Amino acid sequence: MVENTKCECGHQNSIGTVLCESCGKPLFDEHGTSLLEMRYDGVARRSQKANPTWIGRIWNFFSSVKVAVYLIVITLIGATLGTIYPQENTFINIDPSTYYKETYGWTGHLYYLLGLSRTYESWWFRALLFMIGTSLVICSLDRVLPLYRALSNQQVRKHPQFILRQKVTYTGDLPIAANRPRQDPAFTANGHTAENEAAVQWVNEMAGILRKKRYRVRTDGTALLAEKHRFSRWGPYINHIGLIVFLLAVLARGIPGWHMDQYLGFPEGKPVKIPGTPYYLENEKFSVEFYSPEEVPKLKNKDQVVPKKYETQAVLYECVEHCGASVEEPVLKEVARHNILVNEPLNYKGLMAYQFDYRVTPQLVSVRPTLKNKQTGEVYGSFELKMNHPQETYTVGPYQLTLQRYYPEFGFENGEPVTKSNEPKAPAFVFIIEGPGLRQGGEPYIYFPREIDKVNFGQDRINAELGSRLELSVDSMEDVKISQFTSYLNIRVDKALPYIWVGAAIFMIGLVMGIYWQHRRIWLRIDGTRLSLGAHTNKNWYGLRREVADVLGKAGILVDAKSLETGGTVRES
Amino acid sequence: MNLDSISSSALLIAFLIYCLGFLLFVISITGKKWSNRDPHQHAKRWGTIAFIVSAAGFVCHLIFFFTRWYVAGHIPTSNMYEFMTFLAMMIILAFLILYGIYRSPVLGVFSVPVGIIIIAYASVFPNEVQPLIPSLQSHWLKIHVTTAAAGEAFFAIGFAGGLMYLLRTVDFSGSSALSRREILGVEFTLLVVAVIIGFVAAVFGFHAAGYKAQFSTQVVITDKGGAQQEITRYTDYVLPPIFKPNGGKLESMTPFLGMKEPLFETPSWMNGNNAGRQLNTVVWSVLFGSVLYGLLRLIARKPLGAVIQPLLKGMDAEDLDEISYRAIAIGYPIYTLGALVFAMIWAAEAWGRFWGWDPKEVWALITWLFYAAYLHLRLSRGWLGKKSAWLAVIGFVVVMFTLVGVNLIISGLHSYAGV
Amino acid sequence: MKKYRKWMQVIILLVIAGIGAFAIGGSFASKDDPVPKAGGQAPDFSLPGLDGKVHKLSDYRGKVVMINFWGTFCPPCKEEMPDIQAQYEKWKDEGFEVLAVNLAESKITVQGFVREHRLTFPILLDEQMEIRKKYGVVNYPTTFFIDRSGKIVWKQEGQMQESFIERQITGLLEKM
Repeated sequence: MVENTKCECGHQNSIGTVLCESCGKPLFDEHGTSLLEMRYDGVARRSQKANPTWIGRIWNFFSSVKVAVYLIVITLIGATLGTIYPQENTFINIDPSTYYKETYGWTGHLYYLLGLSRTYESWWFRALLFMIGTSLVICSLDRVLPLYRALSNQQVRKHPQFILRQKVTYTGDLPIAANRPRQDPAFTANGHTAENEAAVQWVNEMAGILRKKRYRVRTDGTALLAEKHRFSRWGPYINHIGLIVFLLAVLARGIPGWHMDQYLGFPEGKPVKIPGTPYYLENEKFSVEFYSPEEVPKLKNKDQVVPKKYETQAVLYECVEHCGASVEEPVLKEVARHNILVNEPLNYKGLMAYQFDYRVTPQLVSVRPTLKNKQTGEVYGSFELKMNHPQETYTVGPYQLTLQRYYPEFGFENGEPVTKSNEPKAPAFVFIIEGPGLRQGGEPYIYFPREIDKVNFGQDRINAELGSRLELSVDSMEDVKISQFTSYLNIRVDKALPYIWVGAAIFMIGLVMGIYWQHRRIWLRIDGTRLSLGAHTNKNWYGLRREVADVLGKAGILVDAKSLETGGTVRES
Repeated sequence: MNLDSISSSALLIAFLIYCLGFLLFVISITGKKWSNRDPHQHAKRWGTIAFIVSAAGFVCHLIFFFTRWYVAGHIPTSNMYEFMTFLAMMIILAFLILYGIYRSPVLGVFSVPVGIIIIAYASVFPNEVQPLIPSLQSHWLKIHVTTAAAGEAFFAIGFAGGLMYLLRTVDFSGSSALSRREILGVEFTLLVVAVIIGFVAAVFGFHAAGYKAQFSTQVVITDKGGAQQEITRYTDYVLPPIFKPNGGKLESMTPFLGMKEPLFETPSWMNGNNAGRQLNTVVWSVLFGSVLYGLLRLIARKPLGAVIQPLLKGMDAEDLDEISYRAIAIGYPIYTLGALVFAMIWAAEAWGRFWGWDPKEVWALITWLFYAAYLHLRLSRGWLGKKSAWLAVIGFVVVMFTLVGVNLIISGLHSYAGV
Repeated sequence: MKKYRKWMQVIILLVIAGIGAFAIGGSFASKDDPVPKAGGQAPDFSLPGLDGKVHKLSDYRGKVVMINFWGTFCPPCKEEMPDIQAQYEKWKDEGFEVLAVNLAESKITVQGFVREHRLTFPILLDEQMEIRKKYGVVNYPTTFFIDRSGKIVWKQEGQMQESFIERQITGLLEKM
């Protein structure tokens, strides 16, 4: 059964069309008086068609604004749940399976068990965001094409029903002469009757007034269509595109290599490898400044110091050789250097290092001891001794020192020398020294860089005879390198970031376009001496009424803006 | 007379002028019925006077803002006090703009008090000029905070308009289930406003009376050297302690109404150093507010909304609806830009990630989603009138929760607002 | 025209479904690498050894492997070393291998210890603690028993008795 969709004006409309695409006459409610449904100018939309297949059903579901609003609201509520207790992603060293129970009791534990402690990474939250994204795509596709078609081919002369059933209308008789025949052959040849001529003139005057108000006006004899700011209609679709780009960019972070986020500690003085990259970062020096008590008038708690500035002087190296697991030391090449402040990260080819936190961790980095003859005072030379991966052999003057044993934190256990940890808190080095005046094969010599260890463990007593001849010690504090702080930096890579900004920018543009301007259209026609005027806008009816009243006023018809409204007052539901 | 005192005086003067402006707006509406005058002319004339007065107040407020900026060396939007006073200033500005478009004196009756109440609320917080901690030392502080506040200011006007619409149209004599629900909703909203006023009154009242109580708690903190030490932390209460801090020891307390000891102890699951004091303050505010509301209700002998309704009779309901919507529509892009886009840019710069699901960020998102739903419902689903008004009112509650509740109840990266 | 539209719908929905699978599925795949535990595959790694060669875990596929995380500063690690050495000598010809991963100590320190205790199994040096993090090792010693197909059979935290080690090894050696 083919539905008859041919309008009385002669135009053939597609099935489902509400208002004739050409003249605007309502195809269904022909003799009614209620307000016309002006959405998309009454053009048929795909999702309005009857008997959809299951593909059609899915499409219609996501195309619905009602569904979209539900999705927004559910997402909103879901997001709220994630703020009740701190989320797992804020923990660095805490075990979630016990933390919630211990800190918040059974409600906390329930929170954890339900997965709410990972709300924003959960499958259902992601599913909601995904569905919103889908809705954005389908809603927009479904509407933008019909809208474009509807707005591109607008006819000037509309059916009176179309005009008078708009939300803003005016009808009245015009103060034009009823009969003013013009004896102008050229004019009458155009098909305009004398009456019409006055009407046409009035319409043209009106066109002028409207053009001054920045309307684009098209006339067709005694009919007129004035349109302003059509671009504003595309605003919502552009902002939806922006959101889609934004969401896709966020998703793109899942692509391997596009995203990294780690917190690493960097003690002063040695390069630390950044896992998953060929880069090493060295904290050359960290400094922290505090506000003095004069600068902070009221310290709420006396233990609180207010930090003024954190700064890490950082050097970034790239490994160029022996980079994988290798017996050789990796060869590093400096590629970047930056003083990292809280709002000023280091940025090298997308790898970013942000200042996050710091700890006071005084630690010996290296010493520069001098080998002397204890009896004669002769100085043989000095060498650099690192606390971390010290070299194995050293040549000092005529002597050869071979490192036999190294105990970063020296101690005795059951009479045996051991190291209590792998941090140089009390380092002890056992060298075999070969050289003049010493036995073949070398003699053992134990060296404690820290004076306090030297005394406590009795370095000279252990070294016995050799210790009375040779002395290995540091001359001054200048020869001691200490690291004071460990700076905690947040190392990130985020290749998707530029696209995120692009998405946000497109969104803002679309939003501004759609909200701060409105699409206004005014139709009018004169039949005999009767003026019929109808106007439509997508938002801000108040402003439209004022403008129409103003325009009519300029044409000599005084009306109150309020009176232009038809179709009942605001529905108070 | 230094700049610092000029600054605080300017705010006080602005506050008083706003109060005057409010009264003048009230006169422009109520005085329409006075004898011997044309109501339309009366409203217009007094409305214009009130507008000029409010604008003068705004100028004083600007003086406060800029002098404080000069004294502090940074834009004064870095703690709760500064931010709230700035928000109040933006609300007045948003109102002035909307008045320029709609010339509606009734809008003044409801918008100016929102600004006034927020200034009063702000005054409770510490207002000394304080230096910026490293993470706030960025030009983004100016951009993000001010734009977000501007957007929120428009939402505040939308709230005022929505509330006005409801007061104008709710049938207080109706007895249907729907009417009863609506009346309950309106009264509850007015109760919340009363609680905020109660908060201000309680704090100022007890402070003026010189009330003080002090508690000490033993806290174990880990300093930057990794060492743990136990220190004594002192908490000062300005309000009589109904709830004392969890694990706190009473050091001293002015007796109040025969109460010499705190009544209860804050439960341990309430986090944060100041949880006890904050809970206590909230309880007192609710008490004061409820008493205030109760008294007014007793005097009026009917729902407070019903008392206010006659004042709005002259106002066109549809216009109210329109103004409320328009304010929110104007504010929405500004809010998006300030609270989301600029916030993301600053976060990316300072913390290395543009979004971290921090409670404040999440609540800003919730606010944004809420108003997105509002706009969609209104523009695509035809939700006009009362439905729209309710959403406008609830939306502002969400905004206030984002600004205040998150700092108070939830802690996170953002809670250095000085509360 | 109508058919074209329908196909467009189908294509668009398919693309969206694909993206959806990626988006939501991503939350099921655990963040980064999960902590390896019994039942899971042992993550592969390469580390330099004290012997100057680079050792890769997958090179030992087909053998029963025991990965022991240790340090010279850790008394229980030291105590179990002689037991490990004994078991290593007993079973190494039957297809058993020990990889002792040392936690970021200087070569000298490790060398001294190895020489003193006369250890003959491969000692690997995890200088940047990368493998320790990969395997989620927080306490020392921690030992992983891995079967011939590369699957983790057991994760043991703490010092082991020789009898325990022997039971684990023989159990795994029997399974072909």
